[in-house]
Order: sequence, then C-alpha cells, then structure tokens
Amino acid sequence: MELVTAKTNISRGALGEAEVIKNNSLLNKWIDEVGTRLTETGNIIKGVQEKAKENFTAVGLPTKKTEDFKYTNIRSYLQDDYAAKNGSASLTEGEIENLLTDEFVSVVLINGKYVPEYSRLKNLPKEVTIKSLFKALEEGNEVAIKQFNAGLEKTTNPMTMLNTALAGDGIFISIPENFSCPIPIQIANICTAEAKSFFNPRHLVYLHKNSELTLIESYHSVNHNGKTFTNSATEFIIEDNASLENYILQDEDILSQRNDVRHFTVNTGSHMNSVAISLNGGMVRNDPTIFINGENAEVHLNGLFIVKENCHTDNHTMVEHRAPNCMSNELYKGVIADNATGVFNGKILVYRDAQKTNAYQSNKNILMGDKSTINTKPQLEIYADDVRCTHGTTTGKLNEEALFYMRSRGLNEKLAKNILLQSFAKEVSNTIKNEAFRTLIEQKIEENIQ
Amino acid sequence: MLEIKDLKVSVEGKQILKGLNLTVKKGEVHAIMGPNGSGKSTLASVIAGKEDYTVDGGSITFNGKDMLELSPDERAKEGMFLAFQYPVEIPGVSTINFLKTAISEIRQYRGLPPMEAKDFLKILKEKQKVVEIEANLTGRSVNEGFSGGEKKRNEIFQMAMLEPSLAILDETDSGLDIDALRIVATGVNKLRTKENAFVVITHYQRLLEYIVPDFVHVLYQGRIVKSGTRELALELEGKGYDWIKKEFSELAV
Repeated sequence: MELVTAKTNISRGALGEAEVIKNNSLLNKWIDEVGTRLTETGNIIKGVQEKAKENFTAVGLPTKKTEDFKYTNIRSYLQDDYAAKNGSASLTEGEIENLLTDEFVSVVLINGKYVPEYSRLKNLPKEVTIKSLFKALEEGNEVAIKQFNAGLEKTTNPMTMLNTALAGDGIFISIPENFSCPIPIQIANICTAEAKSFFNPRHLVYLHKNSELTLIESYHSVNHNGKTFTNSATEFIIEDNASLENYILQDEDILSQRNDVRHFTVNTGSHMNSVAISLNGGMVRNDPTIFINGENAEVHLNGLFIVKENCHTDNHTMVEHRAPNCMSNELYKGVIADNATGVFNGKILVYRDAQKTNAYQSNKNILMGDKSTINTKPQLEIYADDVRCTHGTTTGKLNEEALFYMRSRGLNEKLAKNILLQSFAKEVSNTIKNEAFRTLIEQKIEENIQ
Repeated sequence: MLEIKDLKVSVEGKQILKGLNLTVKKGEVHAIMGPNGSGKSTLASVIAGKEDYTVDGGSITFNGKDMLELSPDERAKEGMFLAFQYPVEIPGVSTINFLKTAISEIRQYRGLPPMEAKDFLKILKEKQKVVEIEANLTGRSVNEGFSGGEKKRNEIFQMAMLEPSLAILDETDSGLDIDALRIVATGVNKLRTKENAFVVITHYQRLLEYIVPDFVHVLYQGRIVKSGTRELALELEGKGYDWIKKEFSELAV
C-alpha cells in the first residue's frame, strides 16, 4: 500500500509543450470530412464541439511520451491517411442476425450509428427511452441536453476531446425514476467499413434515481475489408440509489482498432458493476473513468482480456473516490499469447474528503508464450488519511506444478491447460450476473483459449 | 507389473538416482525408506513422468510398456497413480469435475464407453465412505484451502476413484497426525486387492504399522542399498539412518 499525504497537483495527463505534436491540419482534414456534423446537430452542441476542437488543437494526438498512453502508441494505429466518417450502413439483416437474441432488447449500431430497422425493440418497456443521441438533442430532450458532455467537459484525455470534436451520432438511453428495466438491453456494435475509416461515435446512458438497468455492449466486425479505427466515448450517469450492470464483449476481427472511453458518474447510494471481456480485435483500448461523487456508493470494475497473435489490448482505468464512505473493487485478468501485448494501467485516486474509502485493485496475468508481453502499472494516490486501499499484481506462466498434477491424473497437456485457463477466466466471468450472457461469455472464452 | 532397471536420473546436472533397480509384482506392497535427500521423491516423480528430470540411463517398464516413452497422462491412463507429497491447489476446478474429466479421458484411452452420470455418483458416494472424506470437500476446488490432512485424504480419494493398478504414495504420511494417518492407511488397505500394487515412500516406519508392506527397500545416495521384509523397517526404526549412512558411506562421491 502506498500512502500519499502530501498535497500535490492531481491533474492528469498534463502534457508538456515540448511533447505535443500539433496536428491542426489533421484535425481540420477530419472535420472537413465530417462536414455535415454541425448542420446535423444544429446549435445545441456546436459550442461543445468547438470547445473540444480548441482543446484538442492545444494538445494534439497522444504520443509515446504521454504518460496515460505510454504503452499504446495511438499514432502507430491512427495514421494521417485515415478518413473521418460518420456511421453508414451497407449490411443485410441476415448478416447480423446471429449476433442478436430475443432474450435481450437488441439495439443495433453500425459504425456507432443507430439503425432502428435492424434493432429488436418489441420487448422494450415503454418507460425506457432509446433513440439517436442527436435526435434527442434536436428534440430538446432535457436530460440529453443537460448531461451531454457534462462528465467529459474537463477531460484531459486527447482522444476524448477528439471524440467530442468529431462526435458522430450514437445512442441515447434513459431509464426513468423508480423503474427497474426487466430485460437487459444489448447494444450490438457492428463495424463494417472501408479501410482507413475513422469513427467517433458518442453515446449517453442515463439512469434516473432509484432505477435499474442491465446494459450489454457487444462489439463485432462484419464484412470488414481493411483496418479501421473507432474512437468511441460513452457517458454514463447513475443517479442516487440507481443500479447499473454493464457487460462488454469485444469480439472484433484483427482489422479492427478501437479506443473505448467510458465515463461513469456514480452518485449517492448507487451501484455499478462493469465487466469488460476483451477477446478479439487488432488493437483494443478500454479507458473507463469512474467518478464516485456521492456517499455510500459501490463500484465493481472487472475485466478479462485474452490477447493473441500480434494483437494489443490496453486497459487503462481510473477510479476517483470523490466522496466518503464508498467502496470500489477492481479485478483485471489477462491471458497473453503468441506475440501479443497486454496492458493494465489502473489508478485509484482518493480525494482528501473521501474518508472511510474502501478501494481494492488487483491485476493477474498469465503469459503463454516466450514472446508475449504484459505491461502492468497499478497505482494508488491517496489524499485522505482514514481509508483502506490495497492493490496488487501478479504475472506468471501457467502453474507448471498444477499442470503436472492434472496430467498425472490422466488429462492430456492441452486439456489441462484449457481447464486451468478457464478457471483463471471464471473469476471474472462469474461477476456477470445475467445468466444468459454469462453462458455466452463462457462459451466464447472456451473457444478463444483453444 | 513394474520393472525399473539401472535407472540413472539427474536434475540440473546433479545425479540423483545412480542405478536403481526395483521390481513390483501385482498384489504386492513395497515400502521405500531412506534419509532425506536419498532420492525418494525423485523416484516417485520420474515414475510419474515429471519433466524436470533427465533420465541418463536405465528403463522403467510397466506391464511390458516402456514408460519413459509416455507422457504423464498416458502413464496415468495405463494405470499408474502418484499420490503427491505436496498436493497442488487448483482454484476454480472442483474435485468432482476434475475426476469426471480424468475418468472420461482414461476410459476413452482404454476404449471404454463414457461412464453414466448415475454410475459416477454411485462410485463417488461409495469411495467417499471408504476414505472418510466429507462430501463438501469433494465439491470444492481441488485442495484449495484444505488442511494438510484434508489434502492427503483427497489424494487417497482420487486414487480410490481412478482405481489405478499401481499407486505410488510419496510421503503421504508427512504432516499427518495420528488420526489422519489411520484414516489414510485404512483407505489404502481397503483398496488393496490381488490385482493392484502399491509403492509406499516414507521417511518413518510409523505408516508401515498401518500399511503392512511385503517388501521394504532402503534408498540411500540414489541406490537401493538394502531390501528385506517388514523387519527391516523395524530395524531402521531402532537403529536410525546413521547405521545405513555408516555402512554405505563409501558410496558417497
């Protein structure tokens, strides 16, 4: 445990001038390419976007020297010849049918854009609002207008600024007060695009006081014919005593590169459990930030990443305890094979006023190959003096003793390895409370550790 | 059944077994005793196929088959079993599921049809009784959080379930109190038949009061230096290993 009592500047990701690569021209090129953006969104968010453009112009794309991007060199993935686009669809319903299930309300997004005609909404309770975010803003939806960019306005993350500046229309979900959504909502994110496409979908999920939602995000590629980059940002607001279960399955092809920013605002007495299962994708970066703003809130943040071949998966997490008497528990587990690279860079920040905080963080990794790499950096930064915080990380190969033990009972080496990996993964998949989705995830895990 | 001839084994360049001979026939119980560092656990691990050791010479045949050619799981499928001195914890894998998988693999290897679920449960209950192991232990992850005695009992339980023709017990008595020792030994005795065989590796004579061996061998400096009957174990108990060390110190290199 690291205990920091001295008051220091706690701003994150601050960039020294010398480290900045200014790319005004790149940004302008991208903004031209999504020229319809401002007319689409009208004046409502024009100001927000202009401000984000200014902010981004000041910092530029992250470089290898940007601390928060130390292990993921964005510029090696998002290159100058990428063309910014808003979502467009050229798929048939049949091509995505097997990705949806009637056990959930399925909301189809193609390259981040909501496609109602492919979505399955017949079991959607009438109390729940699901619509395009821009439409909600245009229609003057008060929640959407008030909350859009509220959590991300002060971000220091250049990729988030870029998302706001180039924001493409995404989804808006709102659960009314005292309503418990009886059926999980699945957002099926399908990537299908020309090579070198660059998407910046923007979403907003709002849980009113005392409401409950299970939100499943699944990510897939269909008819993908070249490398694409998706830089998405989602704001989640969980009001007092509300509860969010958020499950994520990343199962895209090797051509897909994505940076997923998720910003959670957690208020008094509320509860959230986010479980990210990253199984496939050329480059995956998960960047969740959780602001615990009210007392007696409970946060669970879990992740499992299986990385193979030459792929790269980065989990960059931030849990900010800004209020007293709250609990957060974080567990990330990685299996890294072949020439793949995994990253866990997680930070817990406890503000001076956040007394009686209980915060736990754990990262465990298994390296399968001689050329597999993990970069792990757990961090605690604590300004309160009456807290209980722990963090720890372990990295190793599969337990040779356990393998021999299992083999000596008649299990062949491959089977023994699979069983060990599955049990390693289960600690994370067990935190998925929805049985149908957990079963699906367990099958997917099994397929991916063969 | 088991024939070991002139077995020479080294680990990281250091020779541990220096020409060991042992013949075990079905229906027999052999005890292998010896001071610390004499090579007892190495022998058990090499028979089971652990890969950290280098076999420099000699042979291990089991029912006529060359075991050195087979992987650890193939040896188990041929009917061998090693009860570990330090049983390994496997979090997230229940003993019952582990055994179900092992039995299914072994039966497939032997060309037998899969075991019916109800037959498995019947045998499970029967064997739990034999080794006096609580059902809640077998439902839990393999050895996770078990006491030393519970781990050893779980080894004997697995042995009972897998019904090997040759079981090697590697210092199963170490770390056991007298009650646990009695339970483990009683379990082994109930499993003894005319068709199977046991090699009991132990430092102390104590276990052999409960599991009565047909033969006792003394392993010292990588060789079996003395073989006899049960009386040899008693003699060792009386005189201690210093007697062996003095007599065979010229073997030291």
